[in-house]
Amino acid sequence: MNFGIWGVVALLFYLAVLVIVAEVARRAKRDQSPADHFLAGRSLGTFVLFLTIYATAYSGNSLLGYPGRAYRDGFSFIMATGFMMSIIVVFHALVPKLRPLAVRQGFVTPGDYLRHRFREGRSRELRQVVAVLMSLALANFLLAQLKAMGDVAELVTGGRIPYEGGVIGLAFVILFYETRGGMRAVAWTDAAQGIAMLVGLAALLTWLLSEAGGLSEITRAVAAKSPEKVAVPSFRVSTNWFSTIALMGLASVLYPQAIQRIFAAESGQALRRSFAGMTFMPLATTLVVTLIGIASIPRFDIVNEVDTDGVVPLLLADWGAAGGLATVAALLVFLGALSAIMSTADSCLLSLGSIVSRDLLGREGSDAAATRLGKRLAGALLLAMIPFALARELTLWRLIELKMELLVQCVPAFLIALHWPRLRTGPVLAGILVGTSFAVGLTFAGHARIAGIHVGLLGCGLNALVAVGGSQFGRRPAADAPSGEGGFGNGGTTSGSPHAISGKPVKNPQEI
Amino acid sequence: MSESERPSARSRRRRLCLLAIGGLFVVSVPWYREPGATPEIWGGVPDWVAVSVLCYAAVAVLNAVAWQATDVPDDPGPEADAPGPEGRS
Repeated sequence: MNFGIWGVVALLFYLAVLVIVAEVARRAKRDQSPADHFLAGRSLGTFVLFLTIYATAYSGNSLLGYPGRAYRDGFSFIMATGFMMSIIVVFHALVPKLRPLAVRQGFVTPGDYLRHRFREGRSRELRQVVAVLMSLALANFLLAQLKAMGDVAELVTGGRIPYEGGVIGLAFVILFYETRGGMRAVAWTDAAQGIAMLVGLAALLTWLLSEAGGLSEITRAVAAKSPEKVAVPSFRVSTNWFSTIALMGLASVLYPQAIQRIFAAESGQALRRSFAGMTFMPLATTLVVTLIGIASIPRFDIVNEVDTDGVVPLLLADWGAAGGLATVAALLVFLGALSAIMSTADSCLLSLGSIVSRDLLGREGSDAAATRLGKRLAGALLLAMIPFALARELTLWRLIELKMELLVQCVPAFLIALHWPRLRTGPVLAGILVGTSFAVGLTFAGHARIAGIHVGLLGCGLNALVAVGGSQFGRRPAADAPSGEGGFGNGGTTSGSPHAISGKPVKNPQEI
Repeated sequence: MSESERPSARSRRRRLCLLAIGGLFVVSVPWYREPGATPEIWGGVPDWVAVSVLCYAAVAVLNAVAWQATDVPDDPGPEADAPGPEGRS
């Protein structure tokens, strides 16, 4: 694939636009507080919120990893449309309860909710363990994006910018606009990147269908070459399908960057409308990239699993080789893919900086110094990730699965805690430790799935049992002894601070 | 589906939609088909894939209806604002 000098020109033009957006976002800042930097002053309206959620959810993994997986597995990877759909369904369990609390208490990070919800015993340890799990998942996700950025930069410039140069150069561009403009820059660039991704994917699929003579011809060609990729899948694959829907649905809603977008919305109505729109996006995106991967089966013979991530670049190379308008369109799709990757990477980085500074290191202030620390930590973490990104052996799909198995262990601390007032700190912490040890131990022992079910999901079940069982039947702290009043929601008061997380007094301290 | 609709009716519709979505997810996975069977082609794709895609399209519509019927208040009541049992004395 070689776009010649035009590839370099297009890439530089795109990066220049990002830098300008960062500057405009910096000027739009109201103050230097963490809420303004990390959450855009809680001002994201329906349109930008929808596109930033979309661009963040559909990443380099979606554009490069998913077609590669569809190429390997065939039609059974249609499950991806299902698990992306399940995420927007599971958000029903999170948004209506968490959003009002976040507004009232001024939450900036997921740990702020834990600080509010779990106040006694080992609450600090619980926040730190959750922050470690979320940071590992984010770092994993960021690593996948850095690797994809290097690949695309190398391809789009025909090797004029090598893989290593792409990883390092684009990482610095992200760091620049994220530290300058914060969530505003990230959300605005996400919005533009989301549109580019949608248009690019639609154009690529249209070209593929017209080339092959329609979807039926593609299916027949796949059946002729690899009949097992068209046949009804085995029971084990079906079990794995259910497991993946559950794992991705439960874990993805706990992405810190997703939770922070719930905090950053300008209103509950904007959130509701954004999610109502998001529910259709798996059909417009995941289904399309799955079909793109399947359409590649008759076209290419790729043996090495790692190389299957290169299916989309190979297709674009074929497309671009036609010259003229096709080359321009292929170049635009490449830039759309790059923008999707960068939009996910910037969101990960922003969340990572805020979580490490507030939840892990305990810098909970609402002043400029706390914001500065978050920015510096984000920069340091990004620099630390680069050497790992320069190693190219791991497939993008495996990176996605690993982070999900960690994130899903946070389910009791959020999803159960929001709905079951009796859940207590100690059992939740114990459950997370048990579930994580189980999932990580079995994964490292080479058993990522048992009978098709992800060990992360099994670990989450164990985790929830410990958390709920311990809260229901375990010994209660003295403060929790029944006193005839003070039950949840019947007028009790708390021993917690009468101040919101943001440091500002809440409307009615007696209600906490 | 107007904002002025009674909350109980909205809540009931939301619950029904979520229940139906659960059923559609179960049907979307071809666990009930004979593994390895050669499928017919429906709408350009294997029949079991067509069933899955139709299920997911229905999930999208029902989920959009469920979100429209969901209340996402910006101000919690005092009950929702309370912390867990350890935070009370």
